[in-house]
Amino acid sequence: MRLILALILLAMAAPVMAQEGKLLPPNAEAAKYPLVTRSSVLERAVDQVIRPAFQNFKDKADALTVAVDGLCAAPSTPNLDGAKLAFADVVDAYSRVEFFKIGPLGQDNRAERIFFWPDRKGIGLRQVQQLLAEHDAAATTPEGLASKSVAVQGLGALEYALYGTGSDALNDNDGSFRCQFGLAIAKNMAGIGADLVADWMAPDGIASHLMAPREDYADYRTEIEALEELVGIMSHGMEAIRDTRLLPFIGREGSAKPKLAPFWRSGLTMAAVQANIEGLQKLFDQSQIADAVGPTDMGLKASTEFEFSNAFRATDLVTSPIDEAATTPKQLSALNYLVIVTQSLQTLFGEQLSAALSLSVGFSALDGD
Amino acid sequence: MWQRRAFLRAAGVGFVASLLPAQTEALERADMVVASAIRTGTGHYGAALVSERGEVVSKLVLPDRGHDIVFAPDGGRGVVFARQPGTFAVVFDPAGNAAPLTLTSAAGRHFYGHGVFSPDGRLLYATESDFEAAKGVIGVYDGTSNYRRIGEFPTYGTGPHELLLMGDGKTLVIANGGIETHPDYGRAELNLESMDPSIVFVDTESGSLIGQVRLDAGLRQLSIRHMAIDGRQRVWFGCQYKGDQTDQPQLIGYATLDGVIELVELPGDLLSDLRNYIGSVAVSTDGGMIGISSPVGNLAVTIDAASRKPAVIKSIRNGCGLAPQGTGFVASSGNGELLGLAGSKVADQTFDFGFDNHLAVLA
Repeated sequence: MRLILALILLAMAAPVMAQEGKLLPPNAEAAKYPLVTRSSVLERAVDQVIRPAFQNFKDKADALTVAVDGLCAAPSTPNLDGAKLAFADVVDAYSRVEFFKIGPLGQDNRAERIFFWPDRKGIGLRQVQQLLAEHDAAATTPEGLASKSVAVQGLGALEYALYGTGSDALNDNDGSFRCQFGLAIAKNMAGIGADLVADWMAPDGIASHLMAPREDYADYRTEIEALEELVGIMSHGMEAIRDTRLLPFIGREGSAKPKLAPFWRSGLTMAAVQANIEGLQKLFDQSQIADAVGPTDMGLKASTEFEFSNAFRATDLVTSPIDEAATTPKQLSALNYLVIVTQSLQTLFGEQLSAALSLSVGFSALDGD
Repeated sequence: MWQRRAFLRAAGVGFVASLLPAQTEALERADMVVASAIRTGTGHYGAALVSERGEVVSKLVLPDRGHDIVFAPDGGRGVVFARQPGTFAVVFDPAGNAAPLTLTSAAGRHFYGHGVFSPDGRLLYATESDFEAAKGVIGVYDGTSNYRRIGEFPTYGTGPHELLLMGDGKTLVIANGGIETHPDYGRAELNLESMDPSIVFVDTESGSLIGQVRLDAGLRQLSIRHMAIDGRQRVWFGCQYKGDQTDQPQLIGYATLDGVIELVELPGDLLSDLRNYIGSVAVSTDGGMIGISSPVGNLAVTIDAASRKPAVIKSIRNGCGLAPQGTGFVASSGNGELLGLAGSKVADQTFDFGFDNHLAVLA
């Protein structure tokens, strides 16, 4: 049944993609009759989407710190479960902001420190295992941790501490060092979260520049540049979901490599991917960017929403743990279908929405070499 | 990516096997012909040869996005390389007398989008990735034997991009951008925290390293990508910065075979407008002027090679391609514009396709 549904979804999407392969010309006329102004799009993107999403990440990272602190103080199965739930919340919250990698998240290796991914050579795993084996005391304070490899400072390392080999020790006092390491990671992420929120809230920071660009700003001089940043986030986000989250573990022609899936240990792979897509969808929806196009391009909004709904139908079909899903024909076909949908959404953003707004996101300018 | 290779086999590459009379005429009467990878209004990829009068001499269909085009010194053959991490390169005859030949990268290798011919036109060198080892290599192709790949040598770095032949005709200069990618992860940059960009000089006969220069350790996230050689055999290079967006490092400089590497200081305002991104570097035909472009900053700038001062600053939306003409340059944009800069006689014109990052002159 699921296979049939996936095939139906595929069949439904095909004509839309073919139709949308046509690149729409920049519509200069259209800008005279906008339903939504470009500056209001920028304001909503920052105020209603980006800022609250970073605040949510900080809040969830704070809650994780409390939960892991509680676990370390009183190791028990219920407390370990509580820490794992709080971890899942942070993965969810971060997945919603990780492609907003402009300004604050792009500084000081913050993105890599929160989640070092992709990690093709398994550097993070090796370093975390070594650190746990050696009981490296420097890794039990956020300050000490911050001076170590970015690969041991964030979500990947904490996932291994909570779910990896030897994590049973967290149920009782045997896991004291491991728990303190986990607490240092949680505090490290909470600290980065606080910095991200502070930077996004700063009165003369990136937020005000992005909302109201000015010729004398170094980062955003015009509304065009600011809108290109937003569309770039959506387009490149879709590309990253496909190229760094899905394709590496789906593999080619039946050679699935589930251990290349992010968060396979915690079983949060698809939850994270879904949150990735939801984060970008929220930016698309709430900014009302698709309403800022001219009358001839008004259909883009519905086409994009249609592809988002296809994406979520596909993620809903992947119900098994990822190693099983990647080798079960029905779920694998849903994953492959999701790959197609992310490509379609990337094209919708990078080419069609970009052209409809007279931007140049998908070609040359922001996609150079 | 591997689907692309299969697609190539299945679909072949089309077709400028013979030019129409009008096109042959356009080619013959053109003072200058430039070539670029393009994207059509319908979202298809190809390459185009256009004259300075704005006539389209010929077009080539490509299965995916191309990057740079290089011509043999006698102009008898051109090669358009796939954009990284692409696996095809298409050898074509600008005069349209021979069918295009599609090269496919060797197993475990992909192209980076740039190549160069040997002075006699017999050998073609291409920057490639040995992606499992995350090391750059130069693939060597024999033009006298259907461009068979006859060997490779290392670039002594990761993520090589543009390569050029020095004036001695036997020393390659290669920009190792320092960025690791792997086709399993698309174009994702896998080592931003441990980049090690460099410029290397390599002997084409032995493949041995003649020299390697690096910028200061604090600039290891400054990816060296594109180059051009001036009249004094200085290798001018342009960089793309992968560090904090709030940083503002210098973006251009030059290196020499003697081991000098120096950044050239541009004024703060101009630097800011370049948006930490140089997309192309060119040197004027007379060797005295450097051209750089930033499609991110929508800017093309010429710099006097002797005084190292900016001469012309021109705003070009989505502009990236630069080709030398006399004392100036022809510039192209992703929006389909072609225009002359700093003394070039080419008049502004717009095509119904977008030019990709680089513009090459057919000799």
